[in-house]
Amino acid sequence: MSDATPLLSIRNLTVTFGSFTAVDDISYDLHDGQTLAVVGESGSGKSVTALSIMRLVDLGTRGRIKDGEILFRQPDGSVVDLVQLDEDEMREIRGNQISMIFQEPLTSLNPVFSVGNQVAEAVMLHQGLDKQAANERALEMFQLVRIPDPDKRLDQYPHEMSGGMRQRVMIAMALSCDPTILIADEPTTALDVTIQAQILGLMRDLRETTGAAVMIITHDMGVVAEVADDVVVMNQAKVVETGSVFDIFEEPKKEYTKALLAAVPRLGSMTGLADPAPFELVDPT
Amino acid sequence: MTHPLLEARDLSKHFPVENGAKVHAVEHVDLAIDRGETLAVVGESGCGKSTLAHLMIRLLEPTTGSIVLDGVAINGLGTKAMREHRRKMQIIFQDPFASLDPRRTVGKAVAEPLLVHKVVSGAELDAKVATLFERVGLTADMMRQFPHQFSGGQRQRVCIARALTLEPELVIADESVSALDVSIQAQVINLMMELQEEMGLSYLFISHDLAVVERVSHRVAVMYLGQIVEIGPRSAIFENAQHSYTQRLLDAVPIADPRKRRDRPLITGEIPSPVWAPGTAPERVVMRQVSPGHMVAQEA
Repeated sequence: MSDATPLLSIRNLTVTFGSFTAVDDISYDLHDGQTLAVVGESGSGKSVTALSIMRLVDLGTRGRIKDGEILFRQPDGSVVDLVQLDEDEMREIRGNQISMIFQEPLTSLNPVFSVGNQVAEAVMLHQGLDKQAANERALEMFQLVRIPDPDKRLDQYPHEMSGGMRQRVMIAMALSCDPTILIADEPTTALDVTIQAQILGLMRDLRETTGAAVMIITHDMGVVAEVADDVVVMNQAKVVETGSVFDIFEEPKKEYTKALLAAVPRLGSMTGLADPAPFELVDPT
Repeated sequence: MTHPLLEARDLSKHFPVENGAKVHAVEHVDLAIDRGETLAVVGESGCGKSTLAHLMIRLLEPTTGSIVLDGVAINGLGTKAMREHRRKMQIIFQDPFASLDPRRTVGKAVAEPLLVHKVVSGAELDAKVATLFERVGLTADMMRQFPHQFSGGQRQRVCIARALTLEPELVIADESVSALDVSIQAQVINLMMELQEEMGLSYLFISHDLAVVERVSHRVAVMYLGQIVEIGPRSAIFENAQHSYTQRLLDAVPIADPRKRRDRPLITGEIPSPVWAPGTAPERVVMRQVSPGHMVAQEA
């Protein structure tokens, strides 16, 4: 990691839902061009952290950012605390400088508009382009995320596409405004394994071509090992451990991380064994 | 003469869609599960693996073909005749919350099969249910609680307890660990293996997760568009896969080791539709033997 000002710095963030603390005094940084995986099991607070960065956690839910800072370095070099921004200021950043994709692309797309229309709309809204320029940008984005027959696909509706294609559309939309940060919340969890491999490969390629930093939220240690430079392990609203992907996989320091890794099914781990074998579990306490 | 515990013989299931077209969900499947073994069926969404599981336990009736349990063809049996056979086979689903009645205690849920089949009643019933709870890693005092008071892993343990009440010989696990967190998944898989050892259970293990399948199975069948394209001992499938689809599936599995990161070819291929117009049907695969028990579909 570089010593320069991080692109995004989460400092002592606490998020509550009523009396429940979903994120408890956590801190971590995201740097330029980095792919950071935030990994944890259900309820660990990993998604709530992502929603807090987008300031979606306090929109229409009982969620509240109770304490802490989320410092974002804007393209002009100035640093803002996202927690302190009002909704108008936040809208300038959300979808424009920081975008997010979710697990289920079908629920993220509007069923009554063509996918091309929806990508173009995002571009018009955020970048002030006219309709024709926005349509051209949408086509360019579809080519970038390797949607086959992009000019035909622009006119399709979400239900006419497979899950993998829809997720490509979501990635195209998220990248259409050249964000500096892409947050991907379980982007491949709902996809079949062969499609997951395609999307992970695409995300790795896009990092080269767009230079955006990626924060990938996942429960899947296999996905982490495939794409991440660095890893934040979360459990029960807290950060357990942070480190490079090699530190975490090869020299985990905390018992929880060891227990999590012990439970991961690994392809090839049974080579040479005749019969099924139970997992050798580690007690996390 | 010994015969397999459960067999599918030339099993097909077609679902009508519009204009007389049909989804060929399961197409000419032959399978046999032996006592005490775990046969895994793997494949991607829509390949027909869950339909196959539902046919095997007669939650669906096949379009053609037969299901043979312990040497007896069970499709076509009436409700009464079927009841005796049903005890031998149980099923556990993916979502344990949807499988339990929210308004009944989990103790009652587990007791129900014992009452329906008139196995035990009264105080003996409670004792039997308590034993089952303890066997699956729960405590007897949890019997009085409701499903919402449990975590996902505990609920799946309740479903396993319920599946075991009638001492079945075969349990069909349809993506039974897919919805669980990885640490809970590992615990539930270990429990299933212990139970197999103790009770001599057979499992038909339906899953999309190849890494899990490698852990649990004795034999593996790979399904693609309703047909089995490769079947064999676990080591043959994982260490000597012959069919291009099996290889493609294996190549796609993320490896939980950052040093083994691979550059993935950016293929954009998708699985063709299993919908066939009236009078048309997919070409039936021809299997050839690679080694004893290892069969692969010939490719064009």
